[in-house]
Amino acid sequence: MAQINLKEIKSIPYERAEIDKGYTDKSLHINLDSNDISIKSIDEKVKKRFIGGKGYDLWYLWNAVSGSTKWDDPENAICISSGPLGGTPGYPGGGKSIVTSISPLTSAPIDSNVGGYFGPYKKFSGFDLMEITGKADKEIVIFIDGIEQEIKLYEAGNLPSDSYELSESLTYHFDPDKPVNVSVVSAGPGAENTNFGCLNFTWFDTPRKIVRYKQAGRGGTGTVLADKKVKAIVARWGSVSMKTNNPADLEGVKKVTKMHAKEINELDPKQRRMATVGTTHIVPIMNDHDCLPVNNFQYGTHPEGKNVGEDVYDRIFDKGFDGCWKGCAVACAHMVKDFMPVSGPYKGKKVVVDGPEYETAAGCGSNLGIFDPFAVLEINFYCDAYGLDTISVGTAIGFVMECYERGLITDRHTGGMDLSFGNKINALELIHQMAEGKGFGAVVGKGIRQMKKIFAEEYGADSEMMEDIGMESKGLEFSEYITKESLAQQGGYGLALKGPQHDEAWLIFLDMVHNFMPTFEDKAEALHWFPMFRTWFSLCGLCKLPWNDIVPADNHETKEPAKVIKHVEWYADLFSSVTGRKVKPDDLLLMSEAVYNFQRIFNLKMGFGTRAHDTVPYRAVGPVTEEEYLSRQDRYDKDLTEKYSVDISGMDTSGKLAALREKREDQYEQLTDAVYERRGWTSDGIPTVETVKRLGLDFPEVLEVLKQNGVE
Amino acid sequence: MITVGDQKLDWHEGITISEVLEKIDNTDLCAVVRLNGKLVSSPHFDTTVIPDQSEIDILPPVAGG
Repeated sequence: MAQINLKEIKSIPYERAEIDKGYTDKSLHINLDSNDISIKSIDEKVKKRFIGGKGYDLWYLWNAVSGSTKWDDPENAICISSGPLGGTPGYPGGGKSIVTSISPLTSAPIDSNVGGYFGPYKKFSGFDLMEITGKADKEIVIFIDGIEQEIKLYEAGNLPSDSYELSESLTYHFDPDKPVNVSVVSAGPGAENTNFGCLNFTWFDTPRKIVRYKQAGRGGTGTVLADKKVKAIVARWGSVSMKTNNPADLEGVKKVTKMHAKEINELDPKQRRMATVGTTHIVPIMNDHDCLPVNNFQYGTHPEGKNVGEDVYDRIFDKGFDGCWKGCAVACAHMVKDFMPVSGPYKGKKVVVDGPEYETAAGCGSNLGIFDPFAVLEINFYCDAYGLDTISVGTAIGFVMECYERGLITDRHTGGMDLSFGNKINALELIHQMAEGKGFGAVVGKGIRQMKKIFAEEYGADSEMMEDIGMESKGLEFSEYITKESLAQQGGYGLALKGPQHDEAWLIFLDMVHNFMPTFEDKAEALHWFPMFRTWFSLCGLCKLPWNDIVPADNHETKEPAKVIKHVEWYADLFSSVTGRKVKPDDLLLMSEAVYNFQRIFNLKMGFGTRAHDTVPYRAVGPVTEEEYLSRQDRYDKDLTEKYSVDISGMDTSGKLAALREKREDQYEQLTDAVYERRGWTSDGIPTVETVKRLGLDFPEVLEVLKQNGVE
Repeated sequence: MITVGDQKLDWHEGITISEVLEKIDNTDLCAVVRLNGKLVSSPHFDTTVIPDQSEIDILPPVAGG
């Protein structure tokens, strides 16, 4: 383990705010331009309107930046919050943190929901939210010591560069006797040298005596932290019990916690087996249903697809408790021990790999034509150690590989590397280059949107083709599902606030497999309800998985099984019991709807947030190439003839491709109209004044942004 | 005999997952089952033959990551 050398440059004592019904009602602000540390009260109106978590993050970020703020301007803030329900031990998924900042990829607000102990430890140390602004002159470490009630800043000379070694060293440095008391947030060299750097949040695995990691992956929050020269943020807290969050009704919390955990313990082994294989169970299911991204989202299935799924990882994962929060029954954060990389700085050394999860297996496996489970492990390991988002890495390399195979880029551009699909050695080499900011990896690390520009302007590549096959929207790389046959999920990605991430809406099966929402209005209703409810988890400091990945045995008998209403009721009970604010399920949606619309208007403030920014590449909508069309010819021919009444007799594949495109692009526009109307937005995708008034968002600054965009 | 959750069904040679699901209420949204612990998806329901003494668990609607 590396020797730590920290020089204290600032220290302030503080009196820890007592938790009251899930809240401290205090926020911590650190300005790195001046090393100013301040603690402020959170206004009751902010609490009522924004609830916590992502809601708090967005409000403070809104107030930190102007409409012209760029991601690397000092005033850009990183906000990290838990939420009123975060930190409830034993409640499944009850320990999440939400990170928000202006994204290097999208230039708009990005949010990431992440496990590990940091969020609860920070809250129990006295702060519902922490906000970091400014930029340090030298690399620093921020230390929030909730036990000693001190905030400290350290200059951090000669710390390990990779996130794994750094986090482990800091954990033992700050509490060598009780490392479980420490949680570390850190980026890594990849975050310094790419636009999609992630943040690693740690938790200490006491039985195994090792530091474990979860990632705030999306949108480059790690890149922002690295740009501020913050090497790590450390929180230290002691023991946690159900009383620590000081709920209004302790017995109520115990009751609903026991019910939810008991149900998961009983049913998970018969359903998803999350506690055994995590989300790797999704790989074979997607592969069987033609939804697993293969070779840059060209195809949805591959004969070797199962090789990067649960059948294999079930045998490789180390057995033991893998909850990223204390007592979580879902416990899906699996790991592989004694893995030996074949490349890079850890070549030949035994390491622990936290993962893979579905997104990594699909994005860095099948989407790259790689079906070697150990290659996926190595990519997973290095992305985490370097602080790189595995989703953006997988989708970006997939794009590059297709460009290479189509001759849009050549060996001349890649530094001589063969980047054909399936070339795992060179995929790894690209990742090492990204971390160092060297070679062609430095170009890939800019993200797909910038790569398209560079390839067109500097390499002379075909722009139209790259617009079709570059899987990004709003500047963010797609997460790992094929959406061509699900119009609702095309909207789930294209109409998502931060870009194409599935945490807002995942409707592929309801739409494509079950045809459960046949009309535009049905789809629009789903694209209202699901994003609103899913948003609620990030307001409260919770994980979404316990809601609908393990469901009651009688759930299929309910009117709308996809909503898992029994669990929604439990969440309302939990919220009521913790906060003392009595709520019903519909109230949860209203909480989210306010924050959701606020984020949309925030996008508008930053120069986005209109229809022009809600587009998706055609690869997400239908077949771009004749090979893709032919791979699903029966389906597409049937669509043309039966759904769209097109006479295809005498049409060649090229003609059918064009006819299908015209119809499908028109459908996406019709869906967009229906969703905007359902959400109470104008036809340009802007919340109406009536909508913001209904949601209590009619602050002067909000109305001013609307006015500037022609909505009064 | 085949066990599906808490129900017992008669087994016969060549019985498939599709046939079993037809005998169970409220399986419209069933896209995946576990057959003796192994995942089987709906495209394979018609062709997957169930051995005698098998246990089947019906997975809830796939919900994404």
